[in-house]
Amino acid sequence: MSDCAVQLCGMSKTYSHFTLRGIDLEVPYGTVLGLIGRNGAGKSTLLRILMGLVRADAGRVTVLGHDMPGDERWIKARVGFVSEDMALYGAATLRWHMHLVRDMHVGWDEARALDLLDRFHLDPDQPVRGLSRGQQVKALLLLAMARHADVLVLDEPTSGLDPLVRHEILKLLAASRSERRALIFSSHYGDDVATLADSVAFMHDGRLIAHAPVGDLLSGGKSLEKVFLEQVSAAECRRAA
Amino acid sequence: MNIKMIARLVRKDCWLMRWPLAAYILAAAAGLAMTASGGPVARSAGITLALNVLIGVSFHVMLGPVLSERERKTLAFVMSLPVTPRDAAVAKLAAAFTLFLIPATIAATTLVWLSPIDIPAHMAASHRPLWSHLLGTLGYYALVLGAWMVFFSVVLGAAIVSESVGWTIGVLTGVLFIFGNFVMQILPALHGLRPYLRALGRGEAALPITIACEAAAIAAIVTIILTLQQRKTSFV
Repeated sequence: MSDCAVQLCGMSKTYSHFTLRGIDLEVPYGTVLGLIGRNGAGKSTLLRILMGLVRADAGRVTVLGHDMPGDERWIKARVGFVSEDMALYGAATLRWHMHLVRDMHVGWDEARALDLLDRFHLDPDQPVRGLSRGQQVKALLLLAMARHADVLVLDEPTSGLDPLVRHEILKLLAASRSERRALIFSSHYGDDVATLADSVAFMHDGRLIAHAPVGDLLSGGKSLEKVFLEQVSAAECRRAA
Repeated sequence: MNIKMIARLVRKDCWLMRWPLAAYILAAAAGLAMTASGGPVARSAGITLALNVLIGVSFHVMLGPVLSERERKTLAFVMSLPVTPRDAAVAKLAAAFTLFLIPATIAATTLVWLSPIDIPAHMAASHRPLWSHLLGTLGYYALVLGAWMVFFSVVLGAAIVSESVGWTIGVLTGVLFIFGNFVMQILPALHGLRPYLRALGRGEAALPITIACEAAAIAAIVTIILTLQQRKTSFV
């Protein structure tokens, strides 16, 4: 078995206004990959392709040793996904959503779900439409994490949250690290990525312009944002040349 | 396809639509009660209510479980569950037909009650056997409910495939235009209409042929929907 939980090989996707070009990326088990890029850089498209929500035009996507979309159902049963573009049913309660996910996932752990409910201070019987943005993100994380997913894919989970909730979520994600779980998350916040990630991938204009361990990127004493901006400038220069 | 997952998604949509569904069932039952009371005003009100239920539930099913998923961003949540796009499309079709058929069957009963041939009087007056009367009633169901189901399937297909309110309304308008002109202008001019209706009312060969044609039309529409869905490359 490969030591990579996720492998992307020459993956491309073209829209009328945007192209994701030849992405090669590997995420080993037990590691955390942070994705950094401007809005529209292709982070969400990449993560959606990984989850089978969007089909790539070319290239190969392998998750936990299985091909996406060939083994889509198998992969989705083992991957947790939370996105800022994702919502729960407003009229239903969190408990109703927990029952829905429990019925569809064999790995659902009720004790873990109750523990997360307690930790997040969520009322399971409150309709979702009454939850704040931060509480809704916590509810989505609860549904993804209470089933012991082997891979967690988080698309800007901390976007638009207040610093306290952001900190709480990062703490939980750090605590959920395990040798057999890979975590991929995109964020606009360099600090979040630096706190959590083992390696960072920079995306710009549909391309992966750099992928390196966090320690290497921060070795010059610069912030992750600063390093990102330098990499973008270098990529622009390469393209111009 | 994973039947268990599909069934769970159908239950989800039915639960989310439980209050509107209850309202449509109540309205359809009220329409039926008014029609059955026999007075001309009550009959007229009953048939109006039945038609409103048919139109209302059709629109509600399109706009609620089908078209609102993407807009409300719940589609990403559904598609992140262990289902394939085909599972999700089949579940959406099954949920839409279930939600439509329960109130629509009651509403169609009202319309059959008001059919050109007064079925209860006809049943009392003629010396035909009971099974012939029952088959005849089924024939009118086939005509009213079946024809509406074909119409519903076409618009549902547009809603599922396009996921766009504009396209769905466009197809709905087009189908209503064709269907309306067919009923108002072409149908009365057909010489074989009266014998056909008579044969349908007696449960003769016209009945299985009508049901088979309608079932084939619906099956063809469902096949086209699933084929087009298969060609999609984005599911959120």
